[in-house]
Amino acid sequence: MELGRKKAEACAACHGPDGNSVVPLFPILAGQTSRYLYLELRDFKEGRRTDPQMSPIAAPLTRDDMLDLAAFFAAQKPRPTGFNADAARAARGKAKADETLCTMCHLGGFAGQNEIPRVAGQYYEYVVKQLGDFKNRVRTNDAGSMTSVARTLSDQDIEDLGHYLASLQ
Amino acid sequence: MTKHIALASSILLIFAAAPAPAQVTKQINVSQDQLARAGSDSRNWLHTQGNYAQTRYYPGAQINTKNVRKLRPAFVFQTEVNESMETAPIVVDGVMYLTTSYNHVYAADAATGKELWHYKHRMGPVTTFCCGPNNRGVAISGGKLFMGTLDAKLIALDALTGKLVWEKQIADPEKGYSETMAPTVVENKVLIGTNGGEYGIRGFLKAFDAGSGSLLWTFYTIPEKGHEGVWAEKDATGRNMHRDIAKEKAALSQQGGDFYQTLGGGVWMNPAIDLKARTAWFVAGNPSPDLYGDERPGDNLYTDSLVAIDLDQGTYKCHFQYIAHDVWDLDAVSPPILVDVKDRSGNMVPGVLHGGKTGHVYVHNRKDCSLIRFSQTMIPQENMWVLPTPEGARMLPGANGGVEWSPMAWEPKNRLAIALNLHQPMTYHVEAAKYPGGSKLWLGGAFKVIASEKQWGRVSAVNVDTGKVAWKHDTEQPLIGGGLATAGGLFFFGEGNGSFNALDSATGKKLWSFNCGAGANAQPVSYMVRGKQYVAMGCGGNTQIDFKRGNSVFVFSLTE
Repeated sequence: MELGRKKAEACAACHGPDGNSVVPLFPILAGQTSRYLYLELRDFKEGRRTDPQMSPIAAPLTRDDMLDLAAFFAAQKPRPTGFNADAARAARGKAKADETLCTMCHLGGFAGQNEIPRVAGQYYEYVVKQLGDFKNRVRTNDAGSMTSVARTLSDQDIEDLGHYLASLQ
Repeated sequence: MTKHIALASSILLIFAAAPAPAQVTKQINVSQDQLARAGSDSRNWLHTQGNYAQTRYYPGAQINTKNVRKLRPAFVFQTEVNESMETAPIVVDGVMYLTTSYNHVYAADAATGKELWHYKHRMGPVTTFCCGPNNRGVAISGGKLFMGTLDAKLIALDALTGKLVWEKQIADPEKGYSETMAPTVVENKVLIGTNGGEYGIRGFLKAFDAGSGSLLWTFYTIPEKGHEGVWAEKDATGRNMHRDIAKEKAALSQQGGDFYQTLGGGVWMNPAIDLKARTAWFVAGNPSPDLYGDERPGDNLYTDSLVAIDLDQGTYKCHFQYIAHDVWDLDAVSPPILVDVKDRSGNMVPGVLHGGKTGHVYVHNRKDCSLIRFSQTMIPQENMWVLPTPEGARMLPGANGGVEWSPMAWEPKNRLAIALNLHQPMTYHVEAAKYPGGSKLWLGGAFKVIASEKQWGRVSAVNVDTGKVAWKHDTEQPLIGGGLATAGGLFFFGEGNGSFNALDSATGKKLWSFNCGAGANAQPVSYMVRGKQYVAMGCGGNTQIDFKRGNSVFVFSLTE
């Protein structure tokens, strides 16, 4: 854990010192599952997922670096973002999530498990961007499940899901 | 050292006021003979599915159609895990052993609910599993309990103390292997399959030595050669599955058959044991990836199949495939039941029953796995077998079935297999996807429920000699969980809204209900302590259908 804390200093500028980022386009990593964090770092490093900021940062990381970082952020406590969800949109988002059977993988309350990320309480802007990236096949590193699901979502569905997920804790 | 002892004693003194942790004080030693005769033992519940034939039929009749209205909670056993509960408690000589999600095991007094011990499995750093962190229970033999874990281990616990005796890595969790099923123990062999059909595993049933944990044999549900099968065009009921067999054959000759290593075929539920014929009967689940077939040309044997293997050697005896080259995840999960059935000429023969996700009960001849008959449809079927599309194609039943993992119960008097069904209209979506290395969910698409169409559940009782539905009982929500039939003429089952119910097993008439406050989606069992019959049901909800979570096992008995 201490190794991870040290290594995570390089991530603090965007993701916050404890994984609670303050910029809504940078995801909250605190409390994320360590397995997901590790696999995403590995995908950034190996080019299966790309991002102008993350790709060069992940490139030099070793397997141990990635495991240490994953363990550190997973052990941090996520803080509420203070996002002011629109109740009607969040309710529509919940209905869409039920229809899409999201919690079969993401678990009840979107708490996440193993390689399936926690999305409860994540930033609205980040959720909307990722769902859009899946839909538009900008992000394709999840072995087909999310690209398949996102294809069926309208822009409004995605925003509604953003309101719902950001409102969870 | 002395200092440490002094410190330890002072800690002991501080806690001296607290009662010493209880433990099992009687001898627990379950013999093979007891395990083999469990079907006529009304005192104990020794197997997850009741007995080696897996009938989930309880032979006691103290609680019956006449008095079931007086059934009330005797106690509620609360665990510390508030998550999906699928356990079937094992009860031996008044001691209950139950499990929770994330592999906790509890021993409790089966008449009072007093906790005797609590074991928490120390989970490895990597787990990979689909459909919830479930566990469906322990198996018992001698003085040991056996449990499969989410990090793909098999562990043996001392039934008296809950202490770990041995643990064995069954398979690699980084490759998508995990365990949620309860093992079956027979003649010191612990039989266990594997989850992972959603991650590109190669399924199996393995036998481990109960004493040492050493591996005795492995039967792979995917053969290295010949998994392409007979290029079946029709399913078990004669309907065309719309395969492009010429294209599949070309793909196979081009890419070869090495994908057997990632072809799926998980084994989610207990095998039934025919001791006389020395045969283990089980069903194998879906091919990987679930919805995208181009990666895996051929019938994908023995996915979606009933399989019989030699109990002593683990070698192939026969199989029957329900759906070849499945692209709907309508696989075979509910555990097979061994009972005698009428063949097509009306002669009684040793048979095997399986409740399918397709919504049929299949009746087989144990001689050669052949299908004798399939039942009337228990739930609506539409557009079978329309192929999944990127935009989504509607077909009924939805991908959860029909009969999911939910074990059926056998009602011998009227010769009924009683099945819990779901009706969840869905669209099936396909998405091209290469094997992602075992670490990521690999469905090759998705399924979605259709929001505008109502979902519901149905208990269906099928006469196995005619295939006709004798009675049905509809519920407001899809059904998932186990059934229990009793000699008292009752059928017990639970619903996602918390209702735990008793029906008249001959007619389906509802006689009793109690709301547990969380999804009653585990597997009910019954037993006796000091002459009194109890019925136990885990009510912790369900991940797969997202029913309200809870943490408790409810135990009922008759009021005086």
